[in-house]
Amino acid sequence: MAVAGRAGFRGWLRRSTGKWLPRRGALDAGEIVLSQRRVFILPTRAGIGFAVLLLVLLIGSVNYQLGLGFALSFLALSCGLVDMVFTYRNLAHLALQQGRMPQVFAGQEAQFELHLTNRSKLARYAVWIDFDGIKEPRHAVDVKAGGTAAVLLAVPTTNRGWLQPARVVLSTRFPLGLYRAWSYWRPAARALVYPKPEEGAPPLPMSGNAAGSGRLGGNDDFAGVRSYQAGDSPRQLAWRQIARLDPELGGQLVTKHFEGATGDELVLDFATLPAYLDVELRLSRMTRWVLDAEQRALPYAFRLGALRYDAANGVAHQAACLQALALYGMEAA
Amino acid sequence: MKTALFARPLPRDKADTLLLLGSAVLVLAPHTAHLPLWVSLLCAATLLWRGFITLRGKRMPSAMVLLPIAAGAMAGVQFSYNTLLGRDAGVAMLVLLVAFKMLEMHARRDLYVVIFLCFFLVLTNFFYAQGIGTALLMVVAVLALLTTQISFQFTGAVPSLKARLALGGRMLLFAAPIAVALFFIFPRLGGPLWSMPGSGGGSGGKSGLSERMAPGQMSNLAMSDEPAFRVRFDGAVPDKAQLYWRGLVLDAFDGAAWTRGGSLPAGGNVDLRVRGEAVRYELTLEPSDTRWLFTLDMPGHLPEIDGYRSQVSHQLELTSDRPLEQRVRYAMTSYPEYTLDGDTALADPSQWLLLPYGYNPKALAAGLALRKLANPVERVNAVLRQFREQQYNYTLEPPLLGRHSVDEFLYRTRSGFCEHYSGAFVFLMRAAGIPARVVTGYQGGETNPLDGFVTVRQSDAHAWAEVWVAGRGWVRVDPTAAVAPERVRRNLAAAVERPAPFGIDALRGLSLFQAGEDSLLVKLRNALGAVNNGWNQWVLNYTPERQAGLMQSLQSTLADWRFAAVASSAALLLLLARIFYRRRETDPVEAVYSVLCKRLAHLHLDLARAPDEGPTAYAARIAASQQLAPPSREAAVEFLRRYSAWRYAPPQPESSARLAATLKSLLSQLR
Repeated sequence: MAVAGRAGFRGWLRRSTGKWLPRRGALDAGEIVLSQRRVFILPTRAGIGFAVLLLVLLIGSVNYQLGLGFALSFLALSCGLVDMVFTYRNLAHLALQQGRMPQVFAGQEAQFELHLTNRSKLARYAVWIDFDGIKEPRHAVDVKAGGTAAVLLAVPTTNRGWLQPARVVLSTRFPLGLYRAWSYWRPAARALVYPKPEEGAPPLPMSGNAAGSGRLGGNDDFAGVRSYQAGDSPRQLAWRQIARLDPELGGQLVTKHFEGATGDELVLDFATLPAYLDVELRLSRMTRWVLDAEQRALPYAFRLGALRYDAANGVAHQAACLQALALYGMEAA
Repeated sequence: MKTALFARPLPRDKADTLLLLGSAVLVLAPHTAHLPLWVSLLCAATLLWRGFITLRGKRMPSAMVLLPIAAGAMAGVQFSYNTLLGRDAGVAMLVLLVAFKMLEMHARRDLYVVIFLCFFLVLTNFFYAQGIGTALLMVVAVLALLTTQISFQFTGAVPSLKARLALGGRMLLFAAPIAVALFFIFPRLGGPLWSMPGSGGGSGGKSGLSERMAPGQMSNLAMSDEPAFRVRFDGAVPDKAQLYWRGLVLDAFDGAAWTRGGSLPAGGNVDLRVRGEAVRYELTLEPSDTRWLFTLDMPGHLPEIDGYRSQVSHQLELTSDRPLEQRVRYAMTSYPEYTLDGDTALADPSQWLLLPYGYNPKALAAGLALRKLANPVERVNAVLRQFREQQYNYTLEPPLLGRHSVDEFLYRTRSGFCEHYSGAFVFLMRAAGIPARVVTGYQGGETNPLDGFVTVRQSDAHAWAEVWVAGRGWVRVDPTAAVAPERVRRNLAAAVERPAPFGIDALRGLSLFQAGEDSLLVKLRNALGAVNNGWNQWVLNYTPERQAGLMQSLQSTLADWRFAAVASSAALLLLLARIFYRRRETDPVEAVYSVLCKRLAHLHLDLARAPDEGPTAYAARIAASQQLAPPSREAAVEFLRRYSAWRYAPPQPESSARLAATLKSLLSQLR
């Protein structure tokens, strides 16, 4: 019964402390400093035990008229009060900032990066960090005076689309463990979860001949060489030219450049996929194809509903395509 | 093996456990003074075992091993104390519990249990000792316990033990003022909450004055420097020769010893008339296992002591209803001028005339011979003259006396101390037909010039006589004063020649008592006494009455306008210092930067810096903006360029103050 009551109390506390937060429901964009209004503190079970101890000490002192007993009781009581301030200070005035935004495929873990900055002269120890609702926090960090620390918080993903992480709880019991100070942080930035690439998908839908042959289909007219750019496929490197130039003499990587015939280009069109397939499966297959084409450095055009991207290649093109796939059929957000 | 163990730093949990063991030893060590030897040894063995387990990484013993040991220890406590419930038995059980709990620690919860038990054991030590040393030990023990508790909280790198001790010390330092304030302000309750079961076993009390006085049976009076009580007079301390602290009245003599005749009546009827100037004082009585309350001759009223009931006997002895095992304090008014039983006749004088049959024939004859003097006062004076003029000698090491002790003392050995003189005097008076009795108590006392308290020690114990004279009542007569006036005028040390240290005469000057009044040793002794007395008055015996007094004086101080003025100006100064400190804390460059951002935002809303915009991006946006005049724009861009270079470059020698000056001049060009 008692346990159930406590759980109920904890639950009530968790629900209600959120309400006191400044700008309830608002997300914490940019840097957030854990001000006095954001830090909550309550005694732990050990703290309640300590209170009982204080009561026993006081009763013993009164009953046996121990002058020094009173001194000890009040010293212990004051230490308890000082611990409350120290625990609060161990968490308060930490600055929080969100790090890089994760981009993952459904089924992978999205890792949110949280940076903690301690601008005070007080070293912070044993700050536990994890998402709300997790019973035993998984990460504990120390932040030196004037130092920073970073934590990667992993969230498993299942569905494509935007992933809004749950609020993060930062808590500490340092130094004596008699109190638990905690604060909430609601990361504003979301993670974009791409559809899961289909496994065992059919080969790329090459139009015309030599589909999936591994040759550079649609790129038959050699149009000279250009300097290497990041993202160029190793297969396109002009090895003969590279071998002729000694890197010591200013030689560099060069890439063969082709003028592709438009009729031969690779088009990834959602509409051409069989309609009897599930939408998610079709998106999944499109994702796989985008990744494959990118891996093989094939320029590809992309059609998804009303969206039309011309044939291209590279990180930005891939990101645009994947984002479109991730958000297909969802409200623009 | 041992060196190998300590060659590299211990793993963290082992170091923490050893720290906990050390703290427990610190807490348990003072208890060995009163615990039975086997308990101390068992605890030491248990802690050593735990240390061994920790260092060698062995497994903890199972409950099957621990339970029989614990049961055996309980049986041992029952055997040693004949109970499991008394105070001392309870302390022994707790000590054993802490030791055994060390072997049964599995979760973090157990750590708290051990530490909290240790806190309680620090308290139980105060049953046995409450001196300043104990208090210091308490602070050290609390510091050790805090440091241990802190050590268990770290999750990452653990700072050095020194750093952890410093953190614990800082917590204590912050806690101390609050603790002191609470100590004095927290409302105190008088008396115990429940009647305490007998302390069981060894009593902490010290015996005070004996209720039996047998001159001649003791060859060496122990000169204990233990304080018996301390007195603070309202006004000047009376002359030392007036300081007769009345205790017991011994009225029955069986030939060998003077004792109190009969038990104490619950309420005596005393015919006491006082006059003259009153002497007011406050007396703090050290704990003892007796019931005697000492007052200056003659008390004008019954002492009022919280938690005790005081009563008076028909011989004017003051007692409480139960032993004074606590230190008590009472305010008294005494009158040096008085008449006790001043009627023309005593109701039953035979009580004070009785003499044992067949003892001291010579003294009896001498007393009878005194009867030829008509005036009782002359009889008294004759005996006193005898003591003064004949070769009587005051010594603390008198020879032992035989069956006719008074005869032997008066006519053969002629040396003794107050007990001999008062006993012999009362014997002679009774033989001479004057009602007489022996009064014991203390005489004199040492005034501490530092705090004005008069300390009366056990070595100030004294015995004198009272004789009844028709019309004048009971008159105090101190026959010892006739022999050794120094004993009464100054103190015992002055009256007695102390043996030289090691029997070497040249070392006599080294003796503490021989030292002059102004010597360093005496000053040191006075200082120590004052500290100890302050400790007793303000820490150990801080009663509700004393608290009320303190609060009253505090209130009158707080209500004073001068205090209010000082306090408010101090608060103002603190506030100003804080603002100044805060201002200095922010970097001057950052301060100028935030001024620039504010001013740009003020000039045009579109120019406000976005929260996520860095100085470089901001500069680019401003350079492209049309809202600013070209010179202002250039100044702002230059400002941001310099700021960005400073902010994101590695640490450089250019002081932030100089850069701030440059930036300020750029800022001034911004219109």
